[in-house]
Amino acid sequence: MKTNLKSKLLLSLILACTSPAFADNHEHHHHGHETAPSAPDRSTVSTDSVFNITDNWTAADGKAFQLSKLGGKPTVVAMVYTSCQYVCPLTVQNIKRIERSLTTAQAGKVNFALFTFDPQRDTPAKLTEFAKLHSINSPSWVLAQGSEGAVRKLAVTLGIKYKKVQSGDYEHDATISILDSNGVVKFQADAMNKNIDGATDALKTLLH
Amino acid sequence: MKSKHTTFISILILSSCLSPAAAVSAEDMVLVPEGSFTPFFLKKDDSANSSSVAATAIAAFWLDATPVTNRKFQAFVNQHPDWHKSNIKKIFTDSHYLEHWQSAQGSADTADLDKPVVNVSWFAAAAYCEAQDKRLPSTDEWEYTLTDNERDKENLQKQIMAWYSVPNKELPAVRTKPANGFGIYDLAGLIWEWTADFNSYMAPPDSRNSGDKNLFCGSGSLNASNLGDYAAFMRYSYRESLKGNFTGKNLGFRCAKDAK
Repeated sequence: MKTNLKSKLLLSLILACTSPAFADNHEHHHHGHETAPSAPDRSTVSTDSVFNITDNWTAADGKAFQLSKLGGKPTVVAMVYTSCQYVCPLTVQNIKRIERSLTTAQAGKVNFALFTFDPQRDTPAKLTEFAKLHSINSPSWVLAQGSEGAVRKLAVTLGIKYKKVQSGDYEHDATISILDSNGVVKFQADAMNKNIDGATDALKTLLH
Repeated sequence: MKSKHTTFISILILSSCLSPAAAVSAEDMVLVPEGSFTPFFLKKDDSANSSSVAATAIAAFWLDATPVTNRKFQAFVNQHPDWHKSNIKKIFTDSHYLEHWQSAQGSADTADLDKPVVNVSWFAAAAYCEAQDKRLPSTDEWEYTLTDNERDKENLQKQIMAWYSVPNKELPAVRTKPANGFGIYDLAGLIWEWTADFNSYMAPPDSRNSGDKNLFCGSGSLNASNLGDYAAFMRYSYRESLKGNFTGKNLGFRCAKDAK
């Protein structure tokens, strides 16, 4: 999926350089980790945690779900939809490979979370069916459906681009993200990449 | 001029008849009528033969007549201190949030109150709109409004390109230039604006294969739906270069609302 990333970056760069109108605050620096907290944190949630997003989701078991429920353990996160023919099944398979690369004890200390792009079609029942199809039966996994707004916000937060097309399908990035136990994104990789070592290493570091 | 006046009055009537409780002020928001437009996108290499590009239908919706000003954003921050520049959570912005608000209290400079607010992330813009019971416009809604039903198209594109090549040294206040045919101000010539789904692809509306993302390849751009609209290409490219926590000194927003 990232084959065109270079040309995209190049394009943005060319545009950024040729037009002064593109002078946003990101021409010359990266948004790397800035460690100094800029504000007193009035809650227990880290200020750069995705748990600050409080949208309500519905899990495959029909129960209400919020991102903050992923707290306490590192989490492997991806966004998929069940009618997706190729990219999403492969994403799930790669996450399962990450799970299998861990010892049973380690895997028990990790959450695996799939959020659907497709709130209309992916009902909790559909998500349950999808889980069965992919032999997902561990309690460490959660599949969830949210409103269009919640999906958009999560995708923006994780830096995932997507677009619904007229057929009802979605053009989307396939990205695997790894959150630490406080919900801070620690690692991201192309979900199509067969090499899962980076993700596995990131997880093991967090479990250490 | 006459027709605009009529539209304005009918909006007033419409809003007072249909939704007395909705409290949408016709002064601040304009009902953009339903219509259609052809969004800019890059086609994939193998579809060069299809000459007809499907138009995208847009339902009627309310849109802020002007970009959100520093004055209005200040009022929002006062009511929602979580979005004060000293409190905002790191996940919601880069380090330049509201950096043009230089007073000791981190509030807007008096001279800037009627200028569009800039240096706001997508999260802050979305939170502002939600607090007004509104939402950010979709990219399609925003672009449709800019097309102005093709009124004076050539002139509009010239204006836009002139601004893109020489942007404002200092931001003017909102509403200093005439509104477009819909009664919307400052879509071009002032700032860039966030849209709800800025993180979309420039994919054609009927594309299917979600694995194929070669939309930026050279030959793809040659098949853009409107070769003349280089300005649109720049806008879509700019949006694609953004992330939700980015801020820009020329990047602001306005809100929309369903017409119901």
